[in-house]
Amino acid sequence: MKRFDRIIIGAGLYGLYSALFCCQRGQNVLLLECDPTPFRRATYINQARVHQGYHYPRSISTAMKSAGYFERFNKDYAFCVNRGFDQIYATSSRYSWTDGRQFKDFCRAANIPCEELHPKRFFNEGMCDGAFLTREYTYDANILKNYFVEQLSKYQTNVEIKYGVNINRIEKSQDVYQIYTSDSEKYCTGFLLNATYAGTNQILDLLGYEKFGIKYELCEIILCEVNEKLKGIGFTVMDGPFFSIMPFGKTEYHSLTSVTFTPHMTCHDSIPRFTCQDRSGGSCSTFRLGNCNDCVAKPATAFPYMANLARKYMREEYGFEYRSSLFSMKPILMSSEIDDSRPTVIRTYSNNPTFISVLSGKINTVYDLDEVLGDG
Amino acid sequence: MANKEKNFTSAVIYVHNAQNYIEDFLRMIIDVMETNFEHSEIICVNDASDDNSYEIVKKISSVARATSVSIINMSYFHGLELAMNAGVDLSIGDFVFEFDHVDLECDRNVIMDIYYHALKGYDIVSASPTQKEKFTSKLFYGVFDKFTNMYGRMGTESFRVLSRRVINRISSMNKSVPYRKAVYSNCGLKTDNIKYEAKKSNHLISDRKEKNYRLGLAMDSLILFTDVGYRFSMLMTVVMMFVSIFMVVYSVVVYLTSHPVAGWTTTILFLSIALFGLFGVLTIIIKYLQLLVDLVFRRKHYNFESIEKLTK
Ligand SMILES: Cc1cc2nc3c(=O)[nH]c(=O)nc-3n(C[C@H](O)[C@H](O)[C@H](O)COP(=O)(O)OP(=O)(O)OC[C@H]3O[C@@H](n4cnc5c(N)ncnc54)[C@H](O)[C@@H]3O)c2cc1C
Repeated sequence: MKRFDRIIIGAGLYGLYSALFCCQRGQNVLLLECDPTPFRRATYINQARVHQGYHYPRSISTAMKSAGYFERFNKDYAFCVNRGFDQIYATSSRYSWTDGRQFKDFCRAANIPCEELHPKRFFNEGMCDGAFLTREYTYDANILKNYFVEQLSKYQTNVEIKYGVNINRIEKSQDVYQIYTSDSEKYCTGFLLNATYAGTNQILDLLGYEKFGIKYELCEIILCEVNEKLKGIGFTVMDGPFFSIMPFGKTEYHSLTSVTFTPHMTCHDSIPRFTCQDRSGGSCSTFRLGNCNDCVAKPATAFPYMANLARKYMREEYGFEYRSSLFSMKPILMSSEIDDSRPTVIRTYSNNPTFISVLSGKINTVYDLDEVLGDG
Repeated sequence: MANKEKNFTSAVIYVHNAQNYIEDFLRMIIDVMETNFEHSEIICVNDASDDNSYEIVKKISSVARATSVSIINMSYFHGLELAMNAGVDLSIGDFVFEFDHVDLECDRNVIMDIYYHALKGYDIVSASPTQKEKFTSKLFYGVFDKFTNMYGRMGTESFRVLSRRVINRISSMNKSVPYRKAVYSNCGLKTDNIKYEAKKSNHLISDRKEKNYRLGLAMDSLILFTDVGYRFSMLMTVVMMFVSIFMVVYSVVVYLTSHPVAGWTTTILFLSIALFGLFGVLTIIIKYLQLLVDLVFRRKHYNFESIEKLTK
C-alpha cells in the first residue's frame, strides 16, 4: 500500500489548488480524479464570474467577504481574468427582491464600486428601474487549468495525479485513511481532502460521515456568439427570476444563464438522484455522479426560454446566437437559500488521521483552504 | 409532425377557487400549447385560492412534456386585474394569452383562431361569446363607452392574445392598470375582437369575494377611466345655472308684482347665486381631482408569496 502525506479527491480548482499548495511545502501528494482530465465540471462549467459581492444584495456579509477575495484572486491569477468589458447590473422593475435604490445603497454599504446609468440605454422601456456599471470580471477556466497543470509538473517527484479512477471504498484505521480504487490500487494517508463538489456527499457516504444539507440542480450554461454591440458588455438582471449574459472568460463567447431556466432538474435528496441517471449508460448513479456535460442523457437545451427572457429585457440592438450548451451539477447549501449567500464550507470530520470536506461556494474563496491545509 | 408555430407563446391563467374547472382546462391548455407551439410556457396565477386549486395545478402540470408550467402564488386576494398583471409581467412569450377564467365555454379552436388573427397584424385580439350580454354588463360597457374617448368598443371577453409589443408599450406607460381592458383598448395599437358561439351558458361567478371585487372594479374603472364625474358635475352646473337664472327672474317678478315679505327677495337671490357658484367651484375641483388621479396613479404593486416552476 502506497502512503502519501496528503490525498486529495477531485481535480477541480479546489483540488488542484490544494495539491499545489501542499507540494510547494514539500509534502508528497496524490490527486484522484474520476474524469479523464482536470477542470471538466463546475470549475469550467459555470458563469465564470469573479465575484465581488454584487450578486448578493441580500447578504452583506457575503458581499464584504467577496471583495477581499476578489482583489487577491485578480492579483494571483491575473493572466486568466478578463477585465475588458463593462459589467452592467440592473434591477428588474417587477419581481425583483431588490430595487435600484436598494442596490445602490447596498453597494455603498459593502464599499464596492457602482456607477448609476440610465436603464433606457440598455433595456426596453419600463423593464428595469436601475442600471449600474460595476467592477466585476470573468475568469477563463482553461487558462487557469493550464497554469495549474504546468505548476504541478514542476513538482513531479512530489505529486502524482491519477485520472479516470473511481473510488470504491474508504476505510479509517488507527492513524490513516485507506483508499481502494477501481483499478485495484490501495493508498493510504494521514490527511484526506474531499474536494469533489457535487460528489461530496457520495464520498462522505463511503465513510458514513454526516452529509452536507444540500440540494442538487442540473444546470445549463449556454455559450452564445454575440454581435459587436454586445461584445464589450455583460448584463446581469437581478434579483429574482432573471438572466445574465456576459463574456465567458477570455473566449469569444458569452455565457447565457437564467435563474429559472438554467436549472433543468432539481433533487432534494442528500445524494444526487435523477431520472436521467437510468439513461446514462452506467456512467452515472446515485452513488457515483458522472459528468453531466459528457453524458449521453443530458437534457435538451432551454435556449428558447432563456433567449426570450433576455430579449424581453435587452434592447433589440444587442444580438446573440446559440453556439453550444454546457451542463454541470450544482450542489446548493440549503441554509443559504433565503439570503442567497454562497458560503464555502469546510468541515473537519476527524484529526489524525485527518479528513476534511470542502463544499465550495465560488471560485475565489479557494483561499479558505489555506488554513486547513497549513496545519495538520 | 405538423409544422409548429415558431413564436414563443405564453398562456397566463387566472386561478381563484377554481377546483371544479381547472383540471380540464389546464389539460386542454397544455395540449393546445404543446401541439401548436414549438416553445411555450403556462403561468397559473393562484390568487389566494382556499380550495384545492393549487394542488390540482401541481398535479396536472406533470403531464406537460414540452411546455413549462409555473405557478405564482399571490400573498392575498388581489382580484383579477392585479393578479393577471403579475402573470403577464412574468411571462416571456412573443405572444401572451390571457385567460380571465377557467370555465371556458368555447371550442378550443378559437384559441388558435385568435392567435392566427393576431398574426395578421393585430396587437390584441380578444374573443367573446355571441351570447347576449347580461343586462348589468351591457349597462356598464354602455356607460363606459359613452364616457370615454377610447378607440374601439369593449365588451365581455373571455380571453385574448397580446403581442409583446403591446405589453412593452403598456409597461412603458408605467401607469396603473386597474382595468386591463381599458388600457389595452387605449394603447393606440391595432386591436380586434372575434366572436364565437358559446357552448354552454355564460361564465357565472359564484365566489363572493370575486363578485364584490368585480363590482368595486366596475365603479373604480368608471371613475378612473371615464370623465363621468366631471361630466355629471358640469351638467349639474349648467342645470343650476338655468335654475338660478329662472329664480333670479322669478324673484324680481315677484318683487315687482306682489309685495313679498321683507328680505325674501334678497334671500332667494343670494341662495340661487351662491348655489350656482358652488356648483361651478365643485366642477373645477372635480376637474382638478381628475388630473391628480391621472398624475398620481402610477403602477400599483402586487405581492406574491412565491413563484414555482412546476415542470422540468
Ligand atoms: C451553474 C454554476 C454556476 C456557477 N457560477 C459561478 C460563478 O459565476 N462564479 C463563481 O465563483 N462560482 C460559480 N459557481 C461555483 C463554482 O463553479 C464552484 O464553487 C467551483 O467550481 C467548485 O470547484 P471544485 O473544485 O470544488 O469543484 P469541481 O470543479 O466540480 O471539481 C470537483 C472534481 O471532483 C471530481 N469528482 C467528483 N466526484 C468524484 C469521485 N467520487 N471520485 C473522484 N473524483 C470525483 C469531479 O470530476 C471534478 O473534477 C457556479 C457553479 C455552477 C454549477
